[in-house]
Amino acid sequence: MSMPFYVSPEQLIKDRAEFAQKGIARGRSIVAAIYDRGVVLVGENPSASLYKISEIYDRIAFAGVGKYNEFDRLREAGIRWADGTGFTYSREDVDARALANYYGQHLGDMFTEGQKPLEVEILIAQLGNKLHPTKLYRIAYEGTITDEPRFVVLGGDAETIRDRFAELDESVQPFEFTLKSAVAALAGPDRIVPPGDLEVGILEDRGTRRTFTRLNDARVSELLS
Amino acid sequence: MGLPLFSAQNDPGPSFFHYAESTGLTVPTRHGEGESAHATTVVAVRYLGGVVMVGDRQATGNYIASRDIRKIEPADFYTALAISGTAARGIEFIRMAQLSFEHYEKMTDSALSLEGKANYLSPIIQRNNLSSPLMVIPLLAGWDLSHQVGRIFEYDGAGGCYERLDFATIGSGSPFAESTLRLGFRSDLDLEGALDLGALALYEAGDNDPSTAGPDFVRSLFPMMVTINGDGFQELALDEVANRFRVINDRRTQSGGVAGGTLR
Repeated sequence: MSMPFYVSPEQLIKDRAEFAQKGIARGRSIVAAIYDRGVVLVGENPSASLYKISEIYDRIAFAGVGKYNEFDRLREAGIRWADGTGFTYSREDVDARALANYYGQHLGDMFTEGQKPLEVEILIAQLGNKLHPTKLYRIAYEGTITDEPRFVVLGGDAETIRDRFAELDESVQPFEFTLKSAVAALAGPDRIVPPGDLEVGILEDRGTRRTFTRLNDARVSELLS
Repeated sequence: MGLPLFSAQNDPGPSFFHYAESTGLTVPTRHGEGESAHATTVVAVRYLGGVVMVGDRQATGNYIASRDIRKIEPADFYTALAISGTAARGIEFIRMAQLSFEHYEKMTDSALSLEGKANYLSPIIQRNNLSSPLMVIPLLAGWDLSHQVGRIFEYDGAGGCYERLDFATIGSGSPFAESTLRLGFRSDLDLEGALDLGALALYEAGDNDPSTAGPDFVRSLFPMMVTINGDGFQELALDEVANRFRVINDRRTQSGGVAGGTLR
């Protein structure tokens, strides 16, 4: 009879965390930042159809890094949750904080109980109004939720990019400035990311119920020039 | 409600209706007794650049329950959806359609085609009408972006979907509205002509059908008039609608309530 090896809980958690971190760090990063009239989400993404940034609800956007199939499933669940909640109660009862908590619970469960932790890090951005504040919630692979005051960097070499962005964009700025700072932070000092490799989504009030807009390549290159 | 995650086998895909059903967001319907009224008139008329829709505003039970309900709503930017039948079910149906089209768009990052929207509604109508006495018969009109043309889809009680190339009517005032449309429709109608014809058809229905309200000059309540074309769904302003009905009403007053052999 074979005996299973004993693995201490500390070691188990450490191994799982390392596994997830490795997967997430391999991907490219996403920067989300609050500007004077909304929230901008910028990611490096050479694919023009497999999106990392998308709309969840009228004033809520989603961004994910890591394994595409894993975060895309979370995105779909988020849309279902939001549309279902809005259908059952009212559109104004759909709040990003509740969604962030559900994501946190699920990621936490998968981290401790799943076959393997999810190799993803996600962001829920909410554009504020009278009822809800503008918020950026970052949810890590093990379910930790952090409520970031001004900007969030997900995935890849997040720390370096975070420092670079903090230096460029010290306070809440107009849209173009924030976008340029985010792109510069993603690219670093000796690299230029072509607009075609950027994915940009914004949440901004334009007098319509839905506030999410995906900016196309032409618009992005126009804004960056 | 927790995070709605599904295994790959049970995933309802981008269909909000199937998701809502699988999780019990909607109430399952049962067979019951009862006669359902469909007291309404809504007409849709195709013209060269799109579709015009006109609908009355009255909800009727054994007496008039409401004089200002909206029976035509935008289902999305390029689509209008009108209902006849039970108000409660009709309103839920519109909400379900609106949400389903938006849900699909968010899930897949592409909008449904107009034909896709028309077909999507069929089983929802079938499910409702064949399992409950609370009937709903909708009417869908939209601007088809891929063919750059306005299109009308009507449904039967079992959910069958039929495209109409000229005009369509729903509700109890249909026979009167339809007669007017049959006489007045031409395939080269322009927007003005379609609005005039649609308003006249509704005036006739209001004049003859006890459950359809014509223009109400006392309360300043008028049928809803909308256009669906390349610019999307647009509702005509109250003043403009009031003027159109006032013109028809004045004409009829002069001729003593008789149409007089012409479309007046």
